[in-house]
Amino acid sequence: MQPKQFVDMPGAPVLGKNKRPVSIDVKDVTIAFPSRGKGVFTAVKNIDLSISKGEIVSIIGHSGCGKSTLMNAVSGMVKPTSGEVIVNGKRVTGPGPDRGIVFQNYSLLPWLTVYQNVYQAVDAVMPAKTAAEKRELVERNLTMVNLYQHRDKLPSQLSGGMKQRTAIARAFAINPSVLLLDEPFGALDALTKGSMHIELLKLWNLDHREKTIIMVTHDIEEAIFLSDRVVVMNDGPAATIREIVDIPLARPRNKKAIIHLPAYMAVHDRLLSLLTQSFSIEDEGVEYQE
Amino acid sequence: MKKVFSLANVLAVAWFAGSLVLLIAIWWVVSLVTAHEIPDPAATWTVFSEMLQDPFYDYGPNDKGIGIQLWGSIKRVGAGFLLGSLVAIPMGLLMGASPVGMRLLNPLVQILRPVSPLAWFPLGLLAFKAAEGATVFIIAITSLWPTLINTAFGVSSIPQDFKNVGKAFGFSRWKYVSKILIPYALPHMITGLRLSIGVAWMVIVAGEMLSGGIGIGFFVWDSWNGLSLEKILSAILIIGFVGLLLDKLFNGLQQLVTYDKK
Repeated sequence: MQPKQFVDMPGAPVLGKNKRPVSIDVKDVTIAFPSRGKGVFTAVKNIDLSISKGEIVSIIGHSGCGKSTLMNAVSGMVKPTSGEVIVNGKRVTGPGPDRGIVFQNYSLLPWLTVYQNVYQAVDAVMPAKTAAEKRELVERNLTMVNLYQHRDKLPSQLSGGMKQRTAIARAFAINPSVLLLDEPFGALDALTKGSMHIELLKLWNLDHREKTIIMVTHDIEEAIFLSDRVVVMNDGPAATIREIVDIPLARPRNKKAIIHLPAYMAVHDRLLSLLTQSFSIEDEGVEYQE
Repeated sequence: MKKVFSLANVLAVAWFAGSLVLLIAIWWVVSLVTAHEIPDPAATWTVFSEMLQDPFYDYGPNDKGIGIQLWGSIKRVGAGFLLGSLVAIPMGLLMGASPVGMRLLNPLVQILRPVSPLAWFPLGLLAFKAAEGATVFIIAITSLWPTLINTAFGVSSIPQDFKNVGKAFGFSRWKYVSKILIPYALPHMITGLRLSIGVAWMVIVAGEMLSGGIGIGFFVWDSWNGLSLEKILSAILIIGFVGLLLDKLFNGLQQLVTYDKK
């Protein structure tokens, strides 16, 4: 018999240093863009990052530090200038259905209903499935994010949280092994954000924690609550990885309970000091209260 | 269901009535100042209502009812507009979708667009050997530009976000065109069509004055030769109202394809 899944599942990547296979391997990646008048703008430089299957990793850093660029290299939207990204043993040459993306501003197609937004993605990725199978898949994913009763609405009729859930349902519906979230909850109010965190972890659990998730964020608490590891970036240009911080908190995590744990506070302090060090250079004279 | 007699609707009608009153007042003043060389609204109305008594009478090639004249013009405008759109939309899509197409065709568009419809007329005559074909030709060639430019703009301004959705989820070319490109560009296209039908309707009068035959433009010219200014003024009003109706029609179409309905 298999042990009961996802509650203290053996092999669950609690510390991010597990025996599971490598899902994403970023090897010495440098990304530069031609910039107007000034020759070349280097966004990120010599990035090495290895992420195991089923891990949740946050990338955190200041605006413009190239964290989205780094993630776009994994998604295949941006080609590395040098180095390479390996996902599931294959070199990334462009976007692919093994990587689901949740865009920063949801990027729902405003002329399609919630249902159609998800359906068109499913239809594009899984053309071999029958219409009934696709419908079932879409409906199941919409039900998971509690949007089934809103399936015929247009994005303009939805709240921010509902749009975000649609985008997440769309990314999950194509059943990717890697999920890439670009500041997914940045535009949401604090309460909605909190419940979206839970939703995301629920979906991850439902899938037996098989999916690897990379999330770009500004939010330290969010990063700690969700992630196994947090990658802190230096400021750009030519940003590098400043430090990778392990989050030694067992899952399932209780949002209210963990903040009093010494381990949480230690990690929080560490992340904050990593980030504020560079704050104070740019914003001299501004006092940060903590 | 919306109420027909909502406050907003009643107000809209009231404003429209107010502007008609203003028009009639100015008209009357002009008529008085010119010592009735320009007929006043009442005299025009008498002729106008006579014309409407039997709009479809047909007493031979040079004497037909206003309804027949109008219908002739509408058919011509329809044909020219349709032909123009059939050229403008594919060309606009091409220009919008490919930078090469844009660079290559844009100068051409900029040069040909400001040319007066009347300048095209002889070329039309040469090509079609008939006034009818030439009229449709000048309507087509002068009305296609707004549709072309708006279509090209619509397609070339598709936000990167939507393109990224297509890339990220591996949309086929056809899915990209049918689910992203067309839905995004359609409102722009309809705006172009709306401007184009306005141009087409404006061109018809000039075209028919040159071509003769049956049509509202010819009717205006014929009335001038018969020195019936009442008929000319009536025709101007009819031209104005039909133009308004055509615009409303495309406005309705525009409402239909806007996707950001609240």
